[in-house]
Amino acid sequence: MRNVDLFTIASAGVNASNSLLQTTSNNIANVNTEGYVRERTTLQDGLVGGIGDINTERVLNVFAQNQLRRDITRVGELETFEEKTAAIDDILANEANSLATALSDFFSALQTASDDPTNLASRDVVLARGDAFLRRTEVLADFLNDREQELNLEFTSEVNRANTLIQRIGDLNQSILSSAGGDPDAAPSALYNERDQLINELADIVSIDVRDSSNGNGTVLINLTSGDSLVLDDGSFNVIEIAGTTDISFKELQLSTDFGGAKNETAINLTENELGGTLGGLFRYRDEVLGEAQRDIGQLAVTFADALNAQNALGMDMDLQLGGDIFDIPEFEGLAFDGTDTSLDLTGRIEAGDGVTFTDADIKVTVTAAAAGLPTEVTVEFLNGDGSPKVDETGSAVQFTGITVGTGFNSIPGGIEIEFQSASGYAVGNEFLLRPAKDLATEISLATNRGEDLAFASPIRVDPSLDNLGDAKVTGITVTNTTVDATLGAEASAFDGSGGVHNAASAPGGTVGAPAQILFTSNSSYQVLDDAGAVIANVTGVTQYNDLLSQAETSGAGPAWPAAFSALDDYPGYDLSLEGAPVAGDVFDITYNTNGVNDNTNLIQMGELQQAGLVQLSTNSNSEARTFHESYSSLVGRIGEQASSAQISLDAANAMLDQSTTWFESTSGVNLDEEAANLIRYQQSYAAAARILTTAQELFNTILSSVR
Amino acid sequence: MRVSTSQLYDRGIQAILDGQRGLADTQQSLASGKKINRPSDDPVGTSQLVRINEDLDKIDQFRRNNDLFTSALEEQEAVLTNITGSINRARVLTIQAGSGLLNDADKQAIATEIEQIRNEVFDLMNTQNADGDYIFGGHQSQTQAFTYNPAATGNAFTFQGDSGTNEVKLSDSVSVRSTSSGFDVFENVNARLGFSITGSAGLTIDDALITQQGNFDTFHQANYDGVTAANNDYQITITAANQVQVANVGTGATQTLSFASGEPFNYGGIEFTLSGGVGDTVDFSLNQPEKKNLAQTLDDLYRALTDTSISDGQYREALADALVGIDNGLTSIQLENSSIGGRLNVAESIEATNLDLEIANKSARSAIEDVDYAAASAEFAKQETALSAALATFPQVTNLSLFNFI
Repeated sequence: MRNVDLFTIASAGVNASNSLLQTTSNNIANVNTEGYVRERTTLQDGLVGGIGDINTERVLNVFAQNQLRRDITRVGELETFEEKTAAIDDILANEANSLATALSDFFSALQTASDDPTNLASRDVVLARGDAFLRRTEVLADFLNDREQELNLEFTSEVNRANTLIQRIGDLNQSILSSAGGDPDAAPSALYNERDQLINELADIVSIDVRDSSNGNGTVLINLTSGDSLVLDDGSFNVIEIAGTTDISFKELQLSTDFGGAKNETAINLTENELGGTLGGLFRYRDEVLGEAQRDIGQLAVTFADALNAQNALGMDMDLQLGGDIFDIPEFEGLAFDGTDTSLDLTGRIEAGDGVTFTDADIKVTVTAAAAGLPTEVTVEFLNGDGSPKVDETGSAVQFTGITVGTGFNSIPGGIEIEFQSASGYAVGNEFLLRPAKDLATEISLATNRGEDLAFASPIRVDPSLDNLGDAKVTGITVTNTTVDATLGAEASAFDGSGGVHNAASAPGGTVGAPAQILFTSNSSYQVLDDAGAVIANVTGVTQYNDLLSQAETSGAGPAWPAAFSALDDYPGYDLSLEGAPVAGDVFDITYNTNGVNDNTNLIQMGELQQAGLVQLSTNSNSEARTFHESYSSLVGRIGEQASSAQISLDAANAMLDQSTTWFESTSGVNLDEEAANLIRYQQSYAAAARILTTAQELFNTILSSVR
Repeated sequence: MRVSTSQLYDRGIQAILDGQRGLADTQQSLASGKKINRPSDDPVGTSQLVRINEDLDKIDQFRRNNDLFTSALEEQEAVLTNITGSINRARVLTIQAGSGLLNDADKQAIATEIEQIRNEVFDLMNTQNADGDYIFGGHQSQTQAFTYNPAATGNAFTFQGDSGTNEVKLSDSVSVRSTSSGFDVFENVNARLGFSITGSAGLTIDDALITQQGNFDTFHQANYDGVTAANNDYQITITAANQVQVANVGTGATQTLSFASGEPFNYGGIEFTLSGGVGDTVDFSLNQPEKKNLAQTLDDLYRALTDTSISDGQYREALADALVGIDNGLTSIQLENSSIGGRLNVAESIEATNLDLEIANKSARSAIEDVDYAAASAEFAKQETALSAALATFPQVTNLSLFNFI
């Protein structure tokens, strides 16, 4: 063995102990530092005695670190999703906001009014309760709209935060590269700690994959889980940008490069729902919870208002007029998709009386043929709130092609009418987005404040003649159409709008008027007469007395039911049924229900709407529409279910985060007791090494003194 | 496993926070008495609650409807009972008036009372409810149901309303008529059916009276033709000294009866006493059935009683008319009264059903949303213990440090 002097060994020992003490002290000092990774100093004995190499490094389990990041992402996503969903959950829990109570109140008011239809006070209560229901939907919809605006602000701030982090991580990559000069161990561990901390923060916002650079220079590459690069090992990076295309309140994300002009910049669209982290959580909340809830509430409000308008139109109000609209459902504007001239207009409205086919879908209208700058044919697609297509029972997208359109409002599927309002400029490929359910939720208002305008009475009255010998009684008067149209379009009814039904001059065909009398010629045959006594149709072989007018239409002969009547959609728009036994000569007069204000026939029909399936689930013709209450209860159930499963998933994710934190901390965390022990140990080794020095000195002195 | 110092603190704090959250939730449940404080607590239960509450609200409303319905029907019943009482008195008076012993003053006294009854009945037929609606006016409840016009030709008391009736929902599936129509109860009442002698040739009609009203009614109902007027015309021809033939002018159907001049014979409830020879004829036709309301019947009776110029025969006819009219009117009122009774029974039984449903729904609701206090209290105690333990152990664990011993 080569001779090595004790001084060298002693100083190496002191040095080594010093380093060890430094590391320990550093660990103790940083016990509360966020992101600090415990360090350990390793020693190697020298080839010729003494200490060869003193190396201080971070104690890190990369697998634990990656697991921790994944769990941070998961918790970040679920925490945001859960917190936001719980807010809606809470507002629905509040009894004062319950749409179900408001609906029950409204129908109760109707029932009360049906006990005394002429009571103005109870009519006013009906209107007030109807308004209260719509105001509650408005409160809910406004709450949701506020959440949406808040959400958009959050998108911006989260994206900014993510971009700042991406940039700083990129900068730290640069710093590590320049300070280490290619040797990863040479860079200060503080840089690594800071970078890891930033990466954890980024993992909270989006789901990322982190890889060490293959160059082995200590830098990292960060990708989105989808594979798109965020940070490259040369320090360059890409930033996330917010894009709102068709609907400015509907944000989308893009990833854009930042080459500083060195190369052409590009932008990549991101799948927002799969981003993970808080950003992903926000998008998932918007698309799965908020958007759906907004549209469901809108759909409920629209179908409610439309159903009552339609039923009111079939009655006669207290001013003895045919019922008008109770609720005003405004028109809504289409939004031009990217690439479509935004100055082009598309206006939509609800097709009156067709609320039962109205769905919660957004509707994309694409012009497929145009002539002279005006569309002649369109394709209609049904979309979910997040822009994805609605699918039917076979899993294919709901789409209606080849719908011919002209000027004015054109009926399209989904209970909607559209009008292209610009004078010209439309071209094939123009795309528009309509969001009726979302837009209308807060827009419906009362069309009248007058309780008299509620059409509780049937507009038709059937009186048996006092001279009737038989005991037949009127059991039912049905009114299905009251459209007043002097031009006798396809939708016209027999009502003339001025307290009567058509006479021969104004009726279709112009030869006979609308049915005004039933005259039995025997107990199995009758004639339908108009107001002037002219025979409209003769019916024989009658076996039952239900729907006498439609029987006349199908089996009348000599004369048969006028073809001009049958040519219209629903003419005359009323019918009657009898029970009992009529005898020859019995007469039933059908007249406008003048002064019949105590009639509650139509009111009872309005009340029946509570049990009627009116809220459509989908465009599938077999799908059973739900009642108002059912629709609301499934909305509440769904939100509750989403909130509760979010809570459960969050609990699970938190447990996993706990576990991975424990795993990570068990390797990289500082334990003060351990450090205390080390402190004592290294203190002693320091003292021992120092003792070697004294020994060496004493030895040296011994030699010196022996020579002296 | 190695535990870092910060882990020690974090875990301790986490345990305390979890414990506090759990306690707060259980405390809220205990305080509100509800298991479900927000939809997420039980999504399926919440949506069931929406439906159950809807049902309960409806039942509540149905019970209110039932109350209003019952009181409306009771009002109608009271009015009809009142009318029945008065009419029964009128019937007694009518029978009294038929006694041959009455002088003009007696008749006058009866007439005065009949007039009072007529006015009372007329008033009752125009009964208004609390809202001022004429309860027997049908749908046109704001116009007076019956009007009196003494100058009118024909009926002086006429119906102004219509035959419309309203229904009220007493349960999801049951709607019951809540109004009585003046048309059906008062107006659409048959007056006594009659016939008229339209002509005769060669003979003397000693008498032609309906002696068997029941038989005549049957005959009339079987033979009256509302379409072809000629079918209501009959001709009696004396075909032999002991035989007459009755022929229907319209159909030509004939019937031969035994006959003796000056002796009565009966055809369809009508007793004819004819004096004549072979070939002589009498024409008569069945009258179109008339409808008369009670006020009108009483008015006619009143007029007959006060008219001193009418013959005995006419007087007897008038009394017979009045009796039949009163009986028919009473029948119609009884019919409505029993219908009201029936509907009140329906209302009562539906009320009972609704009560049962309410109880069933409420217990279902309670099972879904009400907290089980025993279980919740036990849970609360458990959570409290856990939190106390977490709180107690935290300082002990964190106080242990090697530094304390150096």
